[in-house]
Amino acid sequence: MSTNIRTRLADNVYFNEIQVDRFKTMRLTAIALLPLEKETASDFALLTQVLSRSCKEYPDFTALSKKLSSLYGASLSAGVRKIGESLALTFSIAGIDDRYALKGDVVSSELSNLLLKVIFEPKLIDGVFDCSEVEQERRQLIDLADSEFNDKRVYANARLIENMCKNEAYGIKRYGSRESILKCTPESLKMAWERMLEGASFEVFFVGGASSQGIQEIFKEKFSLIERKPEALNTEIIRKAENVNKVTENMDIAQAKVLMGFRTDCCKDDEDAFAMRLMNVILGSGTRSKFFLNIREKMSLCYYCFSRFNRFKGILTVESGVESSNAQRTVEAVLGELEEVKKGNFTEEDVRLAKLSVASDFLSITDTVTGNEEWYVSQLTDPQFLTVKEITEKLNAVTKDEIIAAAKKLTLDTIYILSGEGEENAD
Amino acid sequence: MQIKEYKSEKLREKYFEIEHSSGLRIFVLPKEGYRSTYAIIGTPFGSINTEFNLKEGKVRVPDGIAHYLEHKLFESEDGDAFMKYSETGANANAYTSFDKTCYLFSCTEQFEKSLSILLELVTSPYFTEETVAKEQGIIGQEIKMYEDSPEWRVLFNLLGGMYHSHPVKVDIAGSVESIAEITPESLYTCYNSYYSLNNMALSVVGNVTIEDVLKVCDKYLKKQESVEVESLFPEEPYEIKEKYVEQIFPVAVPIFNMGFKLKADRLHSEEELAHLDILLFMLASSTSPMYRELMDKGLINSTFSYEMFEGGGYSAILFSGESRDPEKVAEIVCKYIDKAKAEGFDEKDFEDSQKATYGDALSSLNSVETIANMMEDFYFSKRKVFDYYDAIGNASMDKAKLILNEIDTDNCTLSVVKGE
Repeated sequence: MSTNIRTRLADNVYFNEIQVDRFKTMRLTAIALLPLEKETASDFALLTQVLSRSCKEYPDFTALSKKLSSLYGASLSAGVRKIGESLALTFSIAGIDDRYALKGDVVSSELSNLLLKVIFEPKLIDGVFDCSEVEQERRQLIDLADSEFNDKRVYANARLIENMCKNEAYGIKRYGSRESILKCTPESLKMAWERMLEGASFEVFFVGGASSQGIQEIFKEKFSLIERKPEALNTEIIRKAENVNKVTENMDIAQAKVLMGFRTDCCKDDEDAFAMRLMNVILGSGTRSKFFLNIREKMSLCYYCFSRFNRFKGILTVESGVESSNAQRTVEAVLGELEEVKKGNFTEEDVRLAKLSVASDFLSITDTVTGNEEWYVSQLTDPQFLTVKEITEKLNAVTKDEIIAAAKKLTLDTIYILSGEGEENAD
Repeated sequence: MQIKEYKSEKLREKYFEIEHSSGLRIFVLPKEGYRSTYAIIGTPFGSINTEFNLKEGKVRVPDGIAHYLEHKLFESEDGDAFMKYSETGANANAYTSFDKTCYLFSCTEQFEKSLSILLELVTSPYFTEETVAKEQGIIGQEIKMYEDSPEWRVLFNLLGGMYHSHPVKVDIAGSVESIAEITPESLYTCYNSYYSLNNMALSVVGNVTIEDVLKVCDKYLKKQESVEVESLFPEEPYEIKEKYVEQIFPVAVPIFNMGFKLKADRLHSEEELAHLDILLFMLASSTSPMYRELMDKGLINSTFSYEMFEGGGYSAILFSGESRDPEKVAEIVCKYIDKAKAEGFDEKDFEDSQKATYGDALSSLNSVETIANMMEDFYFSKRKVFDYYDAIGNASMDKAKLILNEIDTDNCTLSVVKGE
């Protein structure tokens, strides 16, 4: 893997230069981390949209898009995601490496500068964001919030988290609620923008073959003009579920979605976090997992059934799509497979192959531009960034007993079933 | 065995095309500095190939059989291929599209062993009454998962509205009823024709050499008799079947697909494809006046997209997205197409679109997966990869105008899925 040279540019502002020359494109991403809060999530989500559609120099999205297309169809994107109970505001620009420009054009430095302009030099009218642009982006964000309902897998997943974490910040959606999106104003966005520049923890990632020295200097200069007051970032970890919360909803759909959420009593900074990651592989991730081999292949209950471990929040979620009449049977099957792992009914060979599969995935990640960035994004808020080699070594040190111990820590918190209409009594 | 080298100075890439003695066509593109390798083997047998001519005569097979066959090939007499792959750490998968079925893996070590598993998988069919029956439940749930996907529904409703009889309008996985008709015999019939090595192609990209690939192919692939198979498609009129199709479904934001049906007597060449890509960018990307008007009127959001959709006997340009007023969107899209046909384009816009199309195509050469998939696609469509890139650089406005004239705004279907 290419080395990451991490440089501190200001208080809680870091620049990560990942030098690779095997790609035909470069990418620059700035991530601003802020606490996830009910009152401000929508402002931040809308802010990323508004910032990325124009700037002082290219004052509307047609002008900005035309600039990007003249730079060989470069792409500028922005959005928000949850990392534990932090909100990560992400701004990225990607485009071709100078070596591949058709007429000897130099594009990479222009792209980097464009991203800086988007973040630091927005188009403001009377000191606030343009009202009509805010309205345009608000409409789109509401579409995004509403369209979550369109995809039943996404919807069911969101409902599981909403129910399971209703009293935690994690229960807040990354873009807030429809109601809070409606409350955003050009003024509240301006405040959010200022709060981001002053209070967010920033990680900037450059992946490419050119030097990033110039761009680092400009970032540094920009931040030197800001009085930085980085805010604390925390995630509440609920170690154990007290009782099982069961929620069933009905809808006119062909297939029931069965979701289960467990508390793992284990999160990213815990010693057994690596054991939990491997436990997840053996239980329900991939085609050698217990879920795939038994619930899909042996029982023919479903097309998909898998588990996912969220190390930031300390939860493990299970997802499957089955006949409504088989929903209860699926819940029992999932718990049955977990019981098998707890009893140690898997082999040393299973453990070795789980490690092999994870290690192979890690190495493949570095063969894509975004993968090089994503490797570190997946470690945001960790005490330090580790390399592929370092994490692989930690995983390889995990023993079968540690995996069993990890499985034993799981407690079931919530079962969420989205059932085909009228079949709620079929169980 | 014949080995041919293709090189592009501009793209700094080269690949090899091999006519293997077994009959298999092989493409290898070594990627310097990469850790992973991606291999994919495919056959031009997809959901549309339900009727074909063999030496013995005409055959008709149930809808969804190509996809069913894909699932079943993963099983052999000595176990499941996924289990074998797990021993090499490779990540394996397969997919069936309208016009082909592909099997693939990516790995960072034990490439030769993984490739041998892939070759064994496609050369050793094993179907019994029992194993075929077992898959009904799994695929039945896959079909139902897609039934709940509004994106999938809106697309197939569109295809049903555009096509009178071409099988592209049938769901790729078939239906619960059609797959119930599949038997070991019908699977063998398909397998013995389309999976003959002379009808297949293997593409390998990444941390690999031509020798690595040939070593395994030489060992595992025996020379086979060539099998001639001709896919048959029913007569399809040029005109669309219906202008508007609608389905009520639990969605909060209505979604739409609109399709301009084109003549499909042949596939577009590399040069035509390059011009189509530039043309569509100019017409409908976020830089275009069309996009601007749709946005300003609050009719679309960033999910708005477009694509060229073509294969054996079908060809169309599709637009899709979410909108509270899809009919208005369709009207505006048509207005701008007719306007471009009447007035032509601006030279600067054309140049920028050309650059953007080139940049976009170039970035796909970063990914071993994308390159290998592209090599399969291009081979089955009788196109050459580097010729497409050259054609973008050499594109002309006049040729783009010729392509634009293929679009007839009266020959267009709009499909909408909306809530009650």
